[in-house]
Amino acid sequence: MSIEMSGFDRDRLSPDLRKEIDGLVGQGLNRQRTADLAARIEGEQPKVAVAVRAVPLPDNKARVIFLVASIDDQNVESNVNARYTVESVEITGVPESRLSKGLRDDLHALVGKRLDPEKAEELDKRIAGELPDYDVKRQTSKGNQAGQIRLVFEITEGESLQWIHFAPSRSEILYHTDQAWSGALDIPMGGRNTRVVLGFAFGNDDHLIEEYGGIGFRIESRKLGTRRLGMSFELSEDRETWQPSTLAALEADPSIPEAYRRRLKVEPSMTFAFNRHLRASGGVSISELESLSRSPDSQMASAFIVAVGFDQRWNQASGASHDLELGYDLRFGSTALDSDLEYTRHLGRARYRFSLKNGDVIAGFSAGRVTGAAPLFERFSLGDTSTLRGWSKYDIAPAGGDRMVSQSIEYRYHHLAVFFDSGSMWDAGASVRYRASTGFGFHGDQAFMTLGFPLNADELRVAFMMGVRF
Amino acid sequence: MTIQVVGDVLHVKAPDLRFIAGEALNRLKNGRTVRFDFDLDVVAKPGGPSVAQGRESFNLSYDLWEERFAATRLGPPARSTSHLTQAHVETWCLEQVMVPVSALGRLGADASFWLRLAYRVVDRDRPPDANADERFTLRSLIDMLSRRRSAGDLGAVLERGPFRLSH
Repeated sequence: MSIEMSGFDRDRLSPDLRKEIDGLVGQGLNRQRTADLAARIEGEQPKVAVAVRAVPLPDNKARVIFLVASIDDQNVESNVNARYTVESVEITGVPESRLSKGLRDDLHALVGKRLDPEKAEELDKRIAGELPDYDVKRQTSKGNQAGQIRLVFEITEGESLQWIHFAPSRSEILYHTDQAWSGALDIPMGGRNTRVVLGFAFGNDDHLIEEYGGIGFRIESRKLGTRRLGMSFELSEDRETWQPSTLAALEADPSIPEAYRRRLKVEPSMTFAFNRHLRASGGVSISELESLSRSPDSQMASAFIVAVGFDQRWNQASGASHDLELGYDLRFGSTALDSDLEYTRHLGRARYRFSLKNGDVIAGFSAGRVTGAAPLFERFSLGDTSTLRGWSKYDIAPAGGDRMVSQSIEYRYHHLAVFFDSGSMWDAGASVRYRASTGFGFHGDQAFMTLGFPLNADELRVAFMMGVRF
Repeated sequence: MTIQVVGDVLHVKAPDLRFIAGEALNRLKNGRTVRFDFDLDVVAKPGGPSVAQGRESFNLSYDLWEERFAATRLGPPARSTSHLTQAHVETWCLEQVMVPVSALGRLGADASFWLRLAYRVVDRDRPPDANADERFTLRSLIDMLSRRRSAGDLGAVLERGPFRLSH
């Protein structure tokens, strides 16, 4: 083994240390011993940082090189790799031309200089700023030459650019004056394209007529060989409780299927993406409903499910953005699936959001229609923390309805919001009454605190709502 | 966890504690700097309030060529080490976290005590905003709830005892 010291005059070392280093010559390579000697050099010379590189030579020999760099800034203390020279900078995932010339120049200016961790992190952020829909990950690795390193900026498509999206999180903690607390927690685990979600619901009565709590499991993949194809399999079990007004309404109308105490659901489905914006799903939803009054008797509510979804964002040079989401769901309960309940449920929805700096305008519209004997979880309800805010769903229709139209428009400025909701829900053949409400509050994308006022109620009332969705 | 008194300071040793792991280790092996914050609290009983505290922060990095770890205790006074294996750098960091023995006098002579050691990975990708309002606000609540789990959320708390100093 031979010894070389680069970047430092070895005569500045103590005689003992020089002797120890010279003692390596002719010996077998001992990495611990060379590392100890590097540490001793740094101990004697506090203004330098030392790296050791062993270069194999013919005839089973090796040359040990002590690479010594002086520390003239805080970088080496921040990151020991700052002693190394950047050999190359690579950008993967998008063509370099997607970045501004200034940023490209700054990235390539790193080559040939010692690594500056702060500068590299700043460049991470600049790339993320220029490509807001992408994720940026920096990889640092050994270069081809001793003492040199490679920087690779890996740029991958962010969530908004995925062709198939994972199901949105259902995690929420909500309070509504008339419905008290509702809660749900989704715990996602997994990777970029496949994940498992463990879900819990706690006394949740915000979305359906029933109040439910239980546990669920969902596995999702959004890339089955191609990013055009995805799948989902969901299994859940919920226990239901009912408002007395709902049970009374069911008793008064025997045409509505009975209430249940337990709902077990299995729902496999496949999704095909035509492009980044348009996708279609199909599958089945098998539900076993254990009767509330005749337990353990149960009914099957099994349906074919079809859904079509579209979403797109348009960004303007001014900084404004437009987001549009459209969706249509069809659920078809059929005896072909041994369903005891035969029904058809259509639901169409649209949502538009215009954002400009601190202001947002959000508009939503949905309409639905159910025919046949649909189970209670398929019936529509309005009057919760997101529809007809200010009304109580149990005052409007305690057993829900089989027809529904709803719209909402909201303006936010610095998260201070005012809104106007209107809509109607009724049963086929019954009279239609449009209801409206307005209100204001603090509306962030995750948290909200709202006061809602029905506009055409028989009495003056106020509903307070707050919560977080995350 | 064991304790050691050197002069007027108390150190802890936790040979089984592997705080360089998971996402933090991945980031280090990827050439990044990872900051660890440590708090060592002396408490009179499990879960009790802190009687005395030692607090240290470290920048750790992983030498890509030497495949060894380096650490810098953030001052003052700053102190650095390098060329260490994972186990050795973990031991070195813990050795720097100390509590003055004199501070234990508040517990009373020969009183037993417990130690609570907490560490946290600080995500350098989200440096604190110097202009940020430290008060609790709805905005901060939203930010907290909307944040994705990252290396910055990693950490653990160990509480062990009882210990007693023999005079």
